[in-house]
Amino acid sequence: MIILNIRMKVKIIYKLIVGYFFLISNANAYLDPGTGSIILQAILGAIAAGLTFFTNFWAKVKNFFKKRFKKNKK
Amino acid sequence: MLKKNLGSFRDPAGQIYEVNGRIIRIIKKNGVDRYNFIKQNNLLNDCIEKGFIVSTKDVTEELKSLYPNQEYKYFLEHEAIDYISYPFEWGFYQLKDAALFHLNFQLFLLNRDAILIDSSAYNIQFKNNKPIFIDLLSIDKYREGDYWKGHSQFLQQFLNPLLLKSLKGIDFNNWYKGNLNGIDTIDLNNLLNLKDKLSFNILLSVSLLAKLDNTNKKDPNKALEKIKNKKLLSKGSYKSMLLQLKNWIETLKPKINKTTWDNYSSNNTYKKDELFKKQKIVNEFCKIHKPYLLADIGCNDGLYSIESLNAGARKVIGFDIDLNTINKAYLKSKEKKLPFTPFYLDAMNPTANTGWFENERKSFNSRLNFDCLIALAFEHHLSLANNVPLNQVIKWLLNIAPKGLIEFVDKEDNTVKKMLALKGDIFPDYNQNNFEVLLSEKSKIIKKTIITKTRVLYEFSKS
Repeated sequence: MIILNIRMKVKIIYKLIVGYFFLISNANAYLDPGTGSIILQAILGAIAAGLTFFTNFWAKVKNFFKKRFKKNKK
Repeated sequence: MLKKNLGSFRDPAGQIYEVNGRIIRIIKKNGVDRYNFIKQNNLLNDCIEKGFIVSTKDVTEELKSLYPNQEYKYFLEHEAIDYISYPFEWGFYQLKDAALFHLNFQLFLLNRDAILIDSSAYNIQFKNNKPIFIDLLSIDKYREGDYWKGHSQFLQQFLNPLLLKSLKGIDFNNWYKGNLNGIDTIDLNNLLNLKDKLSFNILLSVSLLAKLDNTNKKDPNKALEKIKNKKLLSKGSYKSMLLQLKNWIETLKPKINKTTWDNYSSNNTYKKDELFKKQKIVNEFCKIHKPYLLADIGCNDGLYSIESLNAGARKVIGFDIDLNTINKAYLKSKEKKLPFTPFYLDAMNPTANTGWFENERKSFNSRLNFDCLIALAFEHHLSLANNVPLNQVIKWLLNIAPKGLIEFVDKEDNTVKKMLALKGDIFPDYNQNNFEVLLSEKSKIIKKTIITKTRVLYEFSKS
């Protein structure tokens, strides 16, 4: 009886584990196809912010020199 | 009587109905907040004025009492589009213009603290040669930190099909028709070679996204965890993402493969006097009948469509199997600002009723609403090139409109000789006499003009 009980317990635990994984693999089907897009947007957003910073910085550098040249011309 | 549009079911906030030929959008209880936001600060009117959204007026007072229902909160009437088309029926430049239109619209909305909640290409229609947005409930309030919800959909329905043609020279249309959601990023990425992937834009918007999608499929929990911990997206980043895509798409061109019909109008086997004669007949026909909506079947680059417009046709929808000529025709229509819209149609493989419940997108046949038809140098492509019996070709053409012009091309014609060179003459019943008998069985032959020894133009009327 005790042995059977252990066997049954093992079976139950096995079923639970398999069931758990089964549920997880099922989750694939419910994963929104936009997940990759959101992670990508976070990356693009960071790059874009960097790019905006760089373009602003570059515009400032250009302006600085433009003003300098204009002053020199005067 | 309210007739539900079967393609309008995705948004619980409101749906499209037809009421005695009028296009009515009913805003339901859970669409009220969104609609009120769109009306606020004149946003809806500005969208209409700037040509982003089809003309819309509030007809709640008129219709609410006629159709009492607790769920129905507002009734809006939209301007009807003459011919509803789908993105897989567009040429490259039409899809490109629609993509840029979508991005410009989003940029406009973002400046007004609004966004588009999806990027369905089916929400765009063509009014002559200009894209226009038809689904105002796709507009919602922008909330600080919002991500672009329709990003993935935009790539699938606009960018990827364009890249398929631009990088690989593969027309997107039939693939798109087979998968109504467009071209999947993973599929496109699998087609690209190292040279294609050297582009920074491709690397980010195609390869990296494909990689992320693949990884996420393998470990969805990790992906969801990543998303939970994501930072908010700044409005500036949202905007620069749109601008980046816009600048990129503006540079895209189709990779052209030469086709048989590329130089059809200017081809030397197509003699000038023959062309002139046909133009004259088309002109006379349109002067008399003043078509409201004319179908030009086998429109090529639009020579006869434009002639029809010059003679008084109000609007022409052209159809052709050749996507290169569709592109040419569209660019011509745009350049000359004509009420002429060409679409891709393979009569042997036309758009069928498809999508959800096979009713979401309508077949070529069920969208027919033409009062006149011209089909010049067309019937022999069905009957001789595709073995469709002549009586069926006539039946198919007569189904398109109640009156029109059909050209018959004889077996002795040079074009036909070339078509039959390898195939052999397996069409004993294909002759002018038989054509005439069959046409007069199904309609009345109003006029018959001999163009050349081998070509005859018939005017028919079913009434």
